[in-house]
Amino acid sequence: MKRFDLPQLGIGVGLRTTHYRDILQGKPAVDWFEVLSENYMQTRGRPLAILDQVAERYPVVLHGVSMSIGSTDPLDRGYLGELKALRDRIGARWVSDHICWTGAHGKNTHDLLPLPLTEEALRHTARRVREVQDFLGAPLVLENVSSYASFAASTMTEWEFVAALAREADCGLLLDVNNVYVSARNHGFNPEDYLRALPMDRVVQFHVAGHSDLGTHVIDTHVGPVPDPVWGLLQAARALGAQAPVLLEWDASIPPLAVVHAEALRAEAFLREGERMAS
Amino acid sequence: MNEKPELLASRVDDGLVFERASATPIAKPRKSDGRQAPRVSAQSVVAALSLAEQQRWLQTVITHPESVEAGAALAGELTEHVISPGAMTSAVEGLDVYHHAYRARLIECLVDDYPALHYALGAEAFAALAGSYIARHPSRSPNLNAFGSHMESFCRAHEDPQAGFWADLARLEWTLVEILHAEDAPPLAAEQLARAPTAAWAGARLLPSHTLRVCRFEHPVNAFFQAFKNDETPPLPAPAPIALAVYRQGFTLWRMVLTPAMADLLEDLVRGATLGDALGAMERRIQDPAALSEVARDVMAWFSSWVQGGFFRGVEITDWST
Repeated sequence: MKRFDLPQLGIGVGLRTTHYRDILQGKPAVDWFEVLSENYMQTRGRPLAILDQVAERYPVVLHGVSMSIGSTDPLDRGYLGELKALRDRIGARWVSDHICWTGAHGKNTHDLLPLPLTEEALRHTARRVREVQDFLGAPLVLENVSSYASFAASTMTEWEFVAALAREADCGLLLDVNNVYVSARNHGFNPEDYLRALPMDRVVQFHVAGHSDLGTHVIDTHVGPVPDPVWGLLQAARALGAQAPVLLEWDASIPPLAVVHAEALRAEAFLREGERMAS
Repeated sequence: MNEKPELLASRVDDGLVFERASATPIAKPRKSDGRQAPRVSAQSVVAALSLAEQQRWLQTVITHPESVEAGAALAGELTEHVISPGAMTSAVEGLDVYHHAYRARLIECLVDDYPALHYALGAEAFAALAGSYIARHPSRSPNLNAFGSHMESFCRAHEDPQAGFWADLARLEWTLVEILHAEDAPPLAAEQLARAPTAAWAGARLLPSHTLRVCRFEHPVNAFFQAFKNDETPPLPAPAPIALAVYRQGFTLWRMVLTPAMADLLEDLVRGATLGDALGAMERRIQDPAALSEVARDVMAWFSSWVQGGFFRGVEITDWST
């Protein structure tokens, strides 16, 4: 498997509008950028022109939030067509989205909603992942989401669902270790149990991010530096065999690019330390 | 007469394009009574709910304009029968995160697209307006670029003395969003026009740029918008009709104030009238000989500024031999 032979891109950060000027003028030594797909769809104006310039200079990956792969609505062929065209236009190394649904009955909530962890949802989602992969002609990379509610009808754990989906649909995984942490706190499970159950050879990419701890629950706000327990889960996933590029998401109170990049580069030290401890 | 175009504040860093990410807006935590709802046996209670039914239930609950509880009442199943409690939160508290995030995310998008309207209304009234807007026009698109497209008509339908001003302001701000996303094309160069034989001009049609809009307003929204962009605190203005050309050159957005005669002529050209027909119609509209003489003197300057502004992407001349 070995990550579908996708490239090892190093340490990247999410492309955000507030950093456009720094990126295009300063040409910082960032290994790669992750691009929010929908921000560059249904537009022919400035955002797309900026993205073209970024993609000329850096490896880029498309990360979507509206594929709604688990929805019971039909797959949106228009969306998929535009996504494929965007991927080809900018030479994105891979396309990712989330193990979730974002809306039903024609509406889009623009949120990453949890699925009932049932055989029905698993079969339904796996079939749609295979359809999307056939359409894209490439593996789809799917991210575990953070959640604040779980369905009473669930018959398996989230890690059982994610692992089964990856195998049944033969897709890649974007392992967001911050989301694992957030959901573990919110639902009361051991995050290392989660990691141990995943097929690490399918992990194509990592996400790290900050969150907001409200005491009774944790919100995935992508704010601030990455807390140590999240770095710890990244080390644990690496120790379990996941060899994948790391991407920092920072979406609230976004500091200058140099600060975001410096935070992302901390991943190298944590991964080195993890390897030293393992040996 | 032809006022210098006003340069809009650069949009490079002000986030005109609403940025979507997978982050969750934070909600004010609901006060917990410390009691945990009992875990309900899923198999016994909700085994009959299909995936589609569970999705319909959750969507109804989290998009309800009022609350999770009101949404659950509408959705028709007890919350505890569908959703399990969290480690330290009840099922309703968990759903509250999604319920808050749904509205917060969409209101943020509308604030992003309509910053001056947000100022004009004030944060609280804007949030109320946006809440009603979200209920009336829920997003049906994979992205949020077009989410705010109904705001002008939505404002106009309000029964409020200021509704007309809000609608005009919304129209101006939405026009800016539209042309930001519009496809660019190389503008018509003055040399291209110069190559056309003078005798052929009357039958020529100018092709408008995709990034040009000619707008008329019943309120002086241009001055209000500019004052807002200048960080001033403009009062809500009384009605006073104006016309604007709103356009993009490269990635810069501009507004040009048009006199009524300029607006009439430009609208005719944008609608596809030939130069001869458009100028003939202008002559017929202006009854006062002195005014007509003034316009005749200025019209070449208008065309010059419009071509320099990239208002046109080409010219169609049917008979070059004329």
